[in-house]
Amino acid sequence: MNALLLTAVFGVIMMLSSFLLTSKTAIRGLAVSGMVIVLAANVLEMMGIVFFKIDTKDMIAFDRFSLLFNSIVFISTLVYFLLSARDMEKVGINYGEYFALIFFVLCGVTLSSSFHSLLILFLGIEIISIPLYILTGSDKRNLKSNEASLKYFLLGAFSTGLMLMGIALIYGATGTFSTNGITTSPTSALVIAGMLLLMFSMAFKVSAAPFHFWTPDVYDGAPTVFTSFMATIVKVAAFIAFMRLFNDEFGSLQSRWQLLIALITAITLFIGNITAVFQQSVKRMLAYSSISQAGFMMMAIFAMNADAREGLLLYSAAYCLATIGIFAVLMKLKDYSFDGFNAFAKQQPLLAATTTIFLLSLAGIPLTAGFLSKFWMIKAVAGTGKYLWLVIFAVLMAVVSVYYYFRVIQAMYFKEGDGQTIEASLPFKWTLVLLAGIIVLLGVFPNWIIYWLYF
Amino acid sequence: MPINYYIFLSIALFVIGIVGVLTRRNAIIIFMCIELMLNAVNLMLVAFSKMHHLAKGATDATAGIDGQLFVFFIMVVAAAEVSVGLAIIVMMYRNIHSVDVNFLNRLKH
Amino acid sequence: MGASSLIVLMIAAVAFSGIAILISKFVLKATTNKQKGEPYECGIPTKGPSWVQFNVGYYLFALIFLIFDVELIFLFPWAVVVKQVGWLALVEIVVFFFILFMGFLYAHKKGALKWM
Repeated sequence: MNALLLTAVFGVIMMLSSFLLTSKTAIRGLAVSGMVIVLAANVLEMMGIVFFKIDTKDMIAFDRFSLLFNSIVFISTLVYFLLSARDMEKVGINYGEYFALIFFVLCGVTLSSSFHSLLILFLGIEIISIPLYILTGSDKRNLKSNEASLKYFLLGAFSTGLMLMGIALIYGATGTFSTNGITTSPTSALVIAGMLLLMFSMAFKVSAAPFHFWTPDVYDGAPTVFTSFMATIVKVAAFIAFMRLFNDEFGSLQSRWQLLIALITAITLFIGNITAVFQQSVKRMLAYSSISQAGFMMMAIFAMNADAREGLLLYSAAYCLATIGIFAVLMKLKDYSFDGFNAFAKQQPLLAATTTIFLLSLAGIPLTAGFLSKFWMIKAVAGTGKYLWLVIFAVLMAVVSVYYYFRVIQAMYFKEGDGQTIEASLPFKWTLVLLAGIIVLLGVFPNWIIYWLYF
Repeated sequence: MPINYYIFLSIALFVIGIVGVLTRRNAIIIFMCIELMLNAVNLMLVAFSKMHHLAKGATDATAGIDGQLFVFFIMVVAAAEVSVGLAIIVMMYRNIHSVDVNFLNRLKH
Repeated sequence: MGASSLIVLMIAAVAFSGIAILISKFVLKATTNKQKGEPYECGIPTKGPSWVQFNVGYYLFALIFLIFDVELIFLFPWAVVVKQVGWLALVEIVVFFFILFMGFLYAHKKGALKWM
């Protein structure tokens, strides 16, 4: 509850700051300190200190899982602000509003990670989506940004319509919105239809195939700063909502949806990885890589056991931090193609080294957080004892993913080129080094996160 | 009237909306079709709310009221979505002087 | 009030409009000119095409109006329970309007309400 109210309050404060504060440094400082306060409040709530006690009529349930996830999201956002806040200045003149919208998105993330009622799920997903439509189109003169925004908006609103229909059908069958699980038996057609509609719309929000087609265009067209935010924090938040929904509400119907989710997982892994191989632009490659990572995260939805819950938290931390780091480096470049990375290691050895660590983590090489999170996912699926072909397929696809991540590393270290001159400030470099350090440490001591889930 | 009629009507409206979204090329009309989908959901929620109220209203006076409240939230969120969407469409129109979604293929490679 | 009154109303409505048309047909002398064939527009005839682009300010006003108009829908459920809940309901609605006012303040300060 702390974080929920504070993010909303800081959203309003940032909105007002856009005309109260004139200096961009002041706005940035306010946003970063707001983020620190939100994070601190959330950590305090994990320790049992709740500032606001509000009776939500059991519509919102802040349990350890959602609180821990919120902390991961807030840490990632803090890192994102530290690394990329300066790049937001280039997008347009409305600097304060960008932060305001991001805080509103975080408010939606808090709602959708802790809902205990389908109403809150709907509100959370919408509070995430609507600011994102604006952020995607924030580069107003750029046609690509306009197109991405319109496309994202039309498809996002469409999937919201599907979700609402699903909610309405489930309400018709059960007579309640709270996600206490389907208890009516035998299961009526209304419940099955509603479950499928909800599954499709959530698969759309997490960009799982075959509902992924908007992702590359939107991620490519949006300003790179906001792509970084959308591809990481928003995506894992949608996954948490997906997991909560299918754990709480449809847990009793697991035998009915498991095959479908397994198929979606396999298709997502296949399309994401195979298409990413053929991309020429690193930004677009990262968009497809986000689809393939979504495939791995779908495995948690499939398995839905204790390992899956631990793994999804670990995965969201590993994926968010590594991708935010890569995007932060990418933003400094002018040429987003693979050739743009040529001879990068000679120009900026420190940045190249950290980027390598991020890419290794995404590819799932041991000693990084990415490896352990993939391992946790596979362990979770193997733990169910069903559909073991999914495990083999996922491992194969992880091998494919190594190819396109290593293309960047190869370009950085082994290709000749003139190299782009980029300016990176000293704090920026040290933040990246810290981030790489966190990823490696999480790869060795994953219990740092998982401990918080149970202690 | 039996609940089936309401379900059929709102499913029909919903499917008209879906077909419109998938086949039309004008952004404004797609947008109107999405609104139609949302309103079909509203109709269905109100019908179900009444149904649950009739079924359990004798013991619980507020039974089924949450369905009607959900409708308010859908309306407000839809209004917020409309204003953002129309702003996006106006922005698009100022740049390319068209609202045809067939123009949206520059991002494809 | 049953189905019979509805039928009476329908007959009355059809009869009313039908009689009006018939009377005008008999009383007036029929003339035709070019303006009669045009779509109805009030006021003087337009100069140039009427499909012009409106000032974008209209859209801005309409969108802001839309948001604030629809937000007030929450007053309906509030009004139903305000007597039961008591003074707490008053506090809540003040908070609600305060948040709306913040949005309004933002729109005002950004010059969205100024006619350009």
